[in-house]
Amino acid sequence: MRDRTFAPSRILIYLVVSLIAAAYLAPLAVVVLNSLRTNEEIAQASMIGWPKQWAWSNYAAAWSGFCVAETCAGIRPYMLNSALVTIPATIISTMLGAIAGYAVSLWRFRGDSWIYGIVTLGLFLPQQMRLLPWTIVLRDIGLINTLAGLVLIHTIQGLSFTTLFCRNYYVAIPHELIRAARIDGAGFFRIFWRIILPLSSPILIVTVIWQFTHIWNEFLYGVTFTTGQQQPVTAALIALSAAIADIPQHGVQSAAVIIAALPTLLIYLLGGRYFVRGLTAGAVK
Amino acid sequence: MPITTTRRRLLAGSVAALALPAFARAQGAVKPRLTAISQWSAGSDGAAITALGKKFEEKGGIWQHSPVPGFTTEMMNKLRAQIIAGDPPACSQLKGPEIAAWSKIAPTVNLDAVVASAGYEKVVAPDLARLHKPGGKWIALPLQIYSTNMLFLSKRAMDKAKADKIPVTWADFNDLAEKMKAGGITYPIANGGTRPDDGQKFEASFAGISPASYRAAIMDLDKKALEGPEIKAAFAQVRKIADWMDPNVGAQPYATNLKRFVDGDMGMMIMGGWAQGVLRNAGFKFDDFMIAPGPSDNTKPVFLLNADAFIFWQRSEPDLQAGQTLMAQLVMDPAIQTMYSQITGSIPVRTDVDLSGAGWSDGQRRTASALKDAVANNQAVLSLAHNMAQENGLTAAMIDVITEYVKNKTITPEQAVTRLAEAVEGAR
Amino acid sequence: MTDAVSTATRPGRPAISGVVRRLPEYLMIWVPLLFSAAHLVSFSLWTIWISFTPSTLVPVSGWVGLRNYTAVMASRNWQIAFDNLLLFGSAFVLLSLVTGLVLAILLDQRIRGENVLRSIFLYPLAVSFVVTGTVWSWLLNPGIGIQKLVHDLGWTSFRFDWLVNRDMAIWTIVIAAIWQSSGFAMALFLAGLRSVDADIIKAAQIDGAGPIRIYRRVILPTLWPITITVVVVQLQFAISAFDLVRALTNGGPGIATQLPALVVYDLMFQRGLLGRGAAAAVLMLLILLAVLLPYAAWRYFRRATHA
Repeated sequence: MRDRTFAPSRILIYLVVSLIAAAYLAPLAVVVLNSLRTNEEIAQASMIGWPKQWAWSNYAAAWSGFCVAETCAGIRPYMLNSALVTIPATIISTMLGAIAGYAVSLWRFRGDSWIYGIVTLGLFLPQQMRLLPWTIVLRDIGLINTLAGLVLIHTIQGLSFTTLFCRNYYVAIPHELIRAARIDGAGFFRIFWRIILPLSSPILIVTVIWQFTHIWNEFLYGVTFTTGQQQPVTAALIALSAAIADIPQHGVQSAAVIIAALPTLLIYLLGGRYFVRGLTAGAVK
Repeated sequence: MPITTTRRRLLAGSVAALALPAFARAQGAVKPRLTAISQWSAGSDGAAITALGKKFEEKGGIWQHSPVPGFTTEMMNKLRAQIIAGDPPACSQLKGPEIAAWSKIAPTVNLDAVVASAGYEKVVAPDLARLHKPGGKWIALPLQIYSTNMLFLSKRAMDKAKADKIPVTWADFNDLAEKMKAGGITYPIANGGTRPDDGQKFEASFAGISPASYRAAIMDLDKKALEGPEIKAAFAQVRKIADWMDPNVGAQPYATNLKRFVDGDMGMMIMGGWAQGVLRNAGFKFDDFMIAPGPSDNTKPVFLLNADAFIFWQRSEPDLQAGQTLMAQLVMDPAIQTMYSQITGSIPVRTDVDLSGAGWSDGQRRTASALKDAVANNQAVLSLAHNMAQENGLTAAMIDVITEYVKNKTITPEQAVTRLAEAVEGAR
Repeated sequence: MTDAVSTATRPGRPAISGVVRRLPEYLMIWVPLLFSAAHLVSFSLWTIWISFTPSTLVPVSGWVGLRNYTAVMASRNWQIAFDNLLLFGSAFVLLSLVTGLVLAILLDQRIRGENVLRSIFLYPLAVSFVVTGTVWSWLLNPGIGIQKLVHDLGWTSFRFDWLVNRDMAIWTIVIAAIWQSSGFAMALFLAGLRSVDADIIKAAQIDGAGPIRIYRRVILPTLWPITITVVVVQLQFAISAFDLVRALTNGGPGIATQLPALVVYDLMFQRGLLGRGAAAAVLMLLILLAVLLPYAAWRYFRRATHA
């Protein structure tokens, strides 16, 4: 079944695959087309349509033009804010998750399976439920309205995912490798640094992709624990969606959606191959 | 402000607040500064608050506005977080009975002195004033007023229906809708399908049928009025409106239908005055439509009040206190209210502002005179759909019933009345 | 298949000097994990505590017994949300499994352009829930979306109005959620398919088995553990799909598409009934435990039989 033939069945496969692919692309196509139509054109016609005239100005307005209250700088400053939270939180939670996963899978400490079990349960604790407790925690440690506070939240919450996936990956590493290194006198960090980390790129790519998209797209914490100029890109996007006393700005909104999604889309486009490879390499057990 | 302020200290603070010196004293010595939270970030709302900020800066103040885009809920999340952190904004957007509810969790500023010196109390509708002075002291100031039950008529649809008379009662309204239907308009009503939109259809019907009964049932939660014949008639009227609407609107906002409304493919819309500003910003002309107070069976205008307001939170910093005084003075200033309303399409809170000038639209003038008439006849009532009549918990429980009724045509008016009474009981 | 390591190197109790020497590694391992575990345990306990208090806008102490629970369970909102969760949860998890598996099998046919296709199926994962909800609310709205497009093209009797139909609206959430997340299921299944031993397949081919038979008898059984992982991940997705539902239907038409997460957020923050919202959250956690405990038991059982 894995050999290449040109039987009718293969034509059918291509047909089915292209149809499904078209369905997956349709929403993107609609947004891209709308990003090139004027607000008026969309308001007067339908949400789905071919641009009558190419409204490239939507992108200029989305990037640096539209106003969120008195700040008329478009989406640009908010992209920077999101990057300032997303990049450190992604890196820290991935590194800590890798070390934790390595410890739980290859070193085994007393009580580790309990801790590990609780941490993975964190995947299921709804975000809305954690909002007020985080408020109290951030108040008590003095990090409310700081980007550091957001980084902390996303790091701690992200550990659930990163630890789970790294642990599942490291579990497949033959422990003879570790044992030999230990006999040679290598310690915890030395083994991690010299043996484990070089083997880890597939799974690190998976966790980086996952963490980056989740944190980048987060809204609730992003607006509650920041003030004014520190808000994330999702806040600027929401500001563009129709308010009650506002005409819908679907054109500029679509352009902003595309710009805001570029970093995560690029990560998936560039990393997609490694994503599957990383999962193949053992993250699925 | 200590970061570790606890709830107990906040409560203690509210007691201490009574003993604090008049807050106006701090003014003058320092540069006034104002931290503010609102959800007004886009469209005419965003433009209006920005203009207010400019005025604040012109008076020598430092304007630090933190807009929280999105739903009111996120704005309140932000406010709650700041209060829990012991760092409330100097002032924040809040409205209706929520002012009283929130004033219990953190100390607010007693504005009585500033309000008295501006002579503001005399020029504010009494029902409205009451909401902003829970416990008898002014702690919040209304900024602008909308009526949620304005009737918008499409000129082209009127032509198709060969009608030129603006409907006054619900019977007139229903007649006109039938005429439009006969004239080839499939959907005479152009409303949207969001939760507040459904709520507005109900409150416009109810208050239009009997403002007294609306006041008793919705504002005072009188059990007899909640099960009376007027509320049943209101649900029956809502059903008619729902049947005249495009079922495809789903949960889209009313703005989705504006184009069809102006083109005469849809005829009427019961919406707040803010729709004027939206129509204007969308490039439609004022000749395209007419605005009148919503139908009222006793022919005197009924005004469903919706007012945006600022609540002032107690701060110890002299510059913030000075900023609060300046902001309070600005909010009450007739010139500022004129500027604000002319941007958003609302009417000023002050009943003594002259709306004959060129900056005002016919619709705004009609709204203002409707308010005057309604107040004189005791027919100005508080909007349920826009959180003016009850606290959010109760409002949401009631809107649940109403929106379900609008979307589900198998529910009878009798069932709706029973469910609404049950919802009130369950949420109290 | 992975639990051979449960016998991995386990250091004995280190001597005191060893503890000091290895302090940095203990800190690196335990501090983050303990923080993470502590925040989960304490946040859950805090929520349970709040659910027994009369808290409204902000947390207050006090005791109201089970009153918040009875109020939540008696409300129509919660009853509808609960039914919807069962329907949405099972339909979404099942259908995204099937979609993901079909996509993976199709991609595994050594087709041209696999890289491009894989990216197409994966890219929705990169999009935020709010955007997905908004865009699908355009497409699925019969007045402005697909139905209108088809009508404008001339087929005026075409109907696709699930979004405004009380009985079908929950399926629009299923559609949007599958669109967004099936790529992950696909990636996992594809990973599973790629790691099937080629020799086994060859042996089956030599035995004269056809492709369908090979899939059914040889390949699919090896995907069992992956399927469990997919179910767990998709379940997590179903719970966090809050923003998506809010942007797509916001619980409507009427209250027909309420889900527990929406009810929790609505009670806690919109309605200002913190105690009731916390009670709803605890009920939601209990539902979750009812699903996860069997999974944990299954893992435990599997580990025990392998050992």
